[in-house]
Amino acid sequence: MTAKTRLSELAIGMIPILLLLGLWQYLTAFKIAPPGLLPPPGVVFARFFQLLGDPTFLGHAAITMYRLVWGFGLAVVVGVGLGILGAGSRVAGSLLRPVIRVLAPVPKVALYPAFMLTLGFDHASKIALVFADALFPILLATLQGALAVEPKLVWSARAMGVSKLKCLFTVVLTAALPSILTGCRIGLVISCIVVFLSEMISSTDGLGYLLVRAARSFQTVDMFVPIIAISVLGLLLNAGFNALRARLLRGFPEEN
Amino acid sequence: MKNLTAIPGVPPLIACLCLLIAWQLLSMRWGLDSLPTAWESLMELPRILNDPKARYDILSSVRRMMTGFVLALAFAIPIGLMMGRSRKVAAFFNPLFMMIYPVPKAALMPIIMLWLGIGDASKTLVIFLGVSLPVIYHTYQGSKAVGEKLMWSGAAMGMTKRQQLFRIVLPAAMPEIMVGCRTGLVLALITMVTSEMIVRQAGIGNLIYNSLDLAQYSATYATIVIVGVLGFVLDLAFEKLRGIVVGWADPVHAIAVGSA
Repeated sequence: MTAKTRLSELAIGMIPILLLLGLWQYLTAFKIAPPGLLPPPGVVFARFFQLLGDPTFLGHAAITMYRLVWGFGLAVVVGVGLGILGAGSRVAGSLLRPVIRVLAPVPKVALYPAFMLTLGFDHASKIALVFADALFPILLATLQGALAVEPKLVWSARAMGVSKLKCLFTVVLTAALPSILTGCRIGLVISCIVVFLSEMISSTDGLGYLLVRAARSFQTVDMFVPIIAISVLGLLLNAGFNALRARLLRGFPEEN
Repeated sequence: MKNLTAIPGVPPLIACLCLLIAWQLLSMRWGLDSLPTAWESLMELPRILNDPKARYDILSSVRRMMTGFVLALAFAIPIGLMMGRSRKVAAFFNPLFMMIYPVPKAALMPIIMLWLGIGDASKTLVIFLGVSLPVIYHTYQGSKAVGEKLMWSGAAMGMTKRQQLFRIVLPAAMPEIMVGCRTGLVLALITMVTSEMIVRQAGIGNLIYNSLDLAQYSATYATIVIVGVLGFVLDLAFEKLRGIVVGWADPVHAIAVGSA
């Protein structure tokens, strides 16, 4: 693909986004939608950038980030660990698979009240929910990736005298890395969404709480700002993760 | 024992049993008021399922979920097919969908409620939004991967563009579309529960919180179990349907998890 077609495709892609923004502007500018229900885009984005300099807002965002990083980090450690273990040992694999089969399609948000009752209203219950939601994509991707590793790679390493355990971490883990990272990326965006939702359901701080507070006091502009903030955060984390992935996977064929 | 675990459906049942036993032991060991034993909670199930109000809540939730899901399929599959067959259409929609992807759909509930009121319309719309994206994505991937040679042979045999789309692209992309639908179905349930928990006005999500507010903790856990079973059963039913519709394709172990 030449640079020119790439550029023109990018231009085509801008059309629907600009159309949506135009429609939004049109609806508010001609008073078709009352400003109480749909504030003008200019006002919303101005408020967003104004709040970016506001320490209170940044504090709420930091709390959200804290929960997100903890939940996601735990999910990566446990998910990758269990996945490698499940692929490496037959017993662990046959124990793990039915449990995944049962728990993966269960909507984890429904567990949130249970987490709240057992872990309290504070950070722990939200981290637990993020963990529960991000765990399964990572675990499944690790398991599938590790099971798809070419057995010859493992055999040659074993023939060269690498112990079984060491083999899991030096051969299987690295060979399964592309799949694992795909799972992690899905898990990361999910964590972002879930942390926000958990804060909306019950919290006294964080970005999700800001949205609920604005909704209760009918401040429409402030309702849009947290949603934009969490989406931008998700996009940034996703882009950062892609950069990390490209660095870790130098030499692997590209896939999306 | 070996023969027993080979029967399909037995390992998940054993897994369920183990989870229930773990719950029972945990609550007995911990002795928290807010963590009733598995037995106490399961005993609440018949009461909830016999309560007409609760039954109405559950059924109307499921009805909204299915409406949103079906509407999303009707919208997302054509868009995905068009994106897969035309680079221009794909370039048109891709950046927009990439931008929408990390937006928590259930979080739009308060805003959508301002516009559409607190009735079924806003709840169905949120479910629709949550389901559409994964279905579009998988349909797009599936129809993009259809072999060019198949299309050429079709064209050589005098098929019109329209026939090619319905007789070649759609069937060839079907396995991948089904993966999208399965993810979408799980997401529909998640979005439904989440939006009801945020708004707390009707439905299963509200049922959970009502019992929580009344400190009927065993009822809370029982309702959670109902939601969990619903998720598992829907997934299982869909897997069966997939076997019937695209039984010829290898089963794809897609990551059928997501969040709205």
